Amino acid sequence: MTYQLSDGARRTMLRALRVMFPHDRLPDEAYERVVDKLEADGRGDASIASTLDEGAAQLDGEGGFADGDADAQLEALRRHEGTPFFDLLKATAVVELYDQPLVWKAFGYEGPSTHLGGYLRRGFDDLDWLPDPPLTFEEAAAAAEQLRS
Amino acid sequence: MPRFRFDDDDVVVIVGSGAGGGTLANELCQQGVRVVVLESGRHHTPDDFVNDEWRSFKQLAWLDQRTTSGSFRIAKDFPNLPAWTCKTVGGTTVHWAGCCPRFMPHEFKVSSYYEGVDGVNALDWPITYEDVEPYYVRAEDKLGITTTHGIPPMPANNNYKVFANGALRAGYKGFHTGRYAVNPVPRDGRPATMQDGFTFQGDKVGAKWSTLITELPKAAATGRLDLRPQAHVIRIEHDERGLATGVTYIDGDGLEQFQRARLVCVACNAIETPRLLLNSASSLFPDGLANSSGQVGRNYMRHLTASVYAIFDQPVRMYRGETMAGHITDEAPSDPDRGFVGGYYMQLLSLGVPFMAAFMDPGTWGREWTSFLENYENMAGMWLVGEDMPQATNRVTLNRDVLDQYGQPVPNVHFDDHPNDVAMREHAWASGQKLYEAVGAVRTWRTPPYPATHNIGTARMSSKPQDGVVNAFGQAHDVPNVFVSDASQFTTGAAANPTLTIVALAIRQAEYIVEQLRTDAIPTGHAVWDGRDPGGSLTGEQVATTAAGSA
Repeated sequence: MTYQLSDGARRTMLRALRVMFPHDRLPDEAYERVVDKLEADGRGDASIASTLDEGAAQLDGEGGFADGDADAQLEALRRHEGTPFFDLLKATAVVELYDQPLVWKAFGYEGPSTHLGGYLRRGFDDLDWLPDPPLTFEEAAAAAEQLRS
Repeated sequence: MPRFRFDDDDVVVIVGSGAGGGTLANELCQQGVRVVVLESGRHHTPDDFVNDEWRSFKQLAWLDQRTTSGSFRIAKDFPNLPAWTCKTVGGTTVHWAGCCPRFMPHEFKVSSYYEGVDGVNALDWPITYEDVEPYYVRAEDKLGITTTHGIPPMPANNNYKVFANGALRAGYKGFHTGRYAVNPVPRDGRPATMQDGFTFQGDKVGAKWSTLITELPKAAATGRLDLRPQAHVIRIEHDERGLATGVTYIDGDGLEQFQRARLVCVACNAIETPRLLLNSASSLFPDGLANSSGQVGRNYMRHLTASVYAIFDQPVRMYRGETMAGHITDEAPSDPDRGFVGGYYMQLLSLGVPFMAAFMDPGTWGREWTSFLENYENMAGMWLVGEDMPQATNRVTLNRDVLDQYGQPVPNVHFDDHPNDVAMREHAWASGQKLYEAVGAVRTWRTPPYPATHNIGTARMSSKPQDGVVNAFGQAHDVPNVFVSDASQFTTGAAANPTLTIVALAIRQAEYIVEQLRTDAIPTGHAVWDGRDPGGSLTGEQVATTAAGSA
């Protein structure tokens, strides 16, 4: 039998991840990838599968977790902090959530660059809201001296 | 490339191909010595490298099992990853960024400034700055350090503009774009940087000095280098007189091999080096090879390490350009009025989004953290690197309860911060925050130590055999044909990134070894060959002919 999360567990986990790692500008799709990864890990390891099933049920068992308000969800997650379920979600999310181009783009990170010639002619020094600073020890000492006088 | 015979007892065997081993190999080959380099990792080339933090990490990092203990936060955050070093040809020079400060003269003599500090296993180096200075000059030429030997400074990237303007406004006066081992202009067969921001991932372009693309190819061109990747050394063997005869290693097919050696030089980084010495224990050396002092594995140092990241109300895009091309020296001298001895450098640093998430504040969750991270585009960053105290109880030992894929006990790394380390880190964090606030930071974040990239001190130099493991040239006090050739031999850590000093000491050690071999001053171990097929494609005479023919 191929392991599969129930719709309820999936919904609970998705909501939990959005509260643990809140980024209003990210679509659910970004978090669903984390849930997919957890499910895939559960497929390869029965102990992960039971941690997910039992953990989601426990989190939800306290009264419709996914439908509660954000404050109640945060409180519930604080109570579960340190459980195997919570730690598994956290450890998986911190890698999987932030290892996708969709998220990089939303945060302003451009990802691979060597194949584009790096940033030598694409803005490695395009910051223009500060003056051009000294480059060498001697120039820095002179600039510091000038600032003091 | 020649393949020297397993029973060839005239080769120098170097264990490890990083800054120490790779440099030593080239220096010896250039001076006519035949060398076998045994490297545990695979032989990747720049074409294999990827602009992807996690994939690159899995490709290059040393991920063999290790364990940790002690009160340092790493034991909780990364219990099986105390250090961020590499398992690949070129060692950790494949990952390093290229920061190359020299030690300051006083740092070779800690008795001059470790005043009133309790609980340290302090020892002065048996050498002085003046002894090393000429080798620093040669190392800087070899590495192509910016602002030395007529090499121009690295241009200012976006992250540096914030860093340097902040430095100026915070009242600092000693800063620059780094003494940096990445080419700003083409030099020594290496191109100029394209400012792609993936130096840590191996540098596909090859603008950065690493032993992978410089020392090892140059050594190979002499015809005297036999580089064997996927050769994981598990023991140094010795004869009944206590002289090394060679090494036992596990090859890429999982087979155990023995390579005879005239000398064995250990350069496996400061966790694997003491592990190998300890794992070579025998009835003659029950506490491990070269360990009559009991100092093998002790005094493990990992440098201060901490970081500060800051958010501004305008874009920075710190990931563009050379990752660590920025350096502030004002906090480096020892000034006990700050509440600690020793000093620290502030250096430019950027991580991509995947690693920022993993390392900014491990284990943290919730909006305070995510709202900082998602402002990545407006983020600037710096690393804080300083001297940490040598403590006898900070120590690499063999964990016999856990075996690795070669069936050997894994190294356990025990570390407790010294109060001096804690005080320095507090000061460094506050200084970094102050710098960024001086230039308009909206928020700042104190990032705790990463898994150590600087691993130091576990087979230290001493003038007296009872105080340390090796002498002033890295030669083991107890076993004269065994050398330590990496930062394990550092008596203390100083504030500077270790690579430049590793390279300088390797050049110096090579000169010493060549002279010692020429005068036959080092005794030879005697191995009884067990009759196995010694393999090999070339004898020493054939190599000499080949090299002469190609010259």
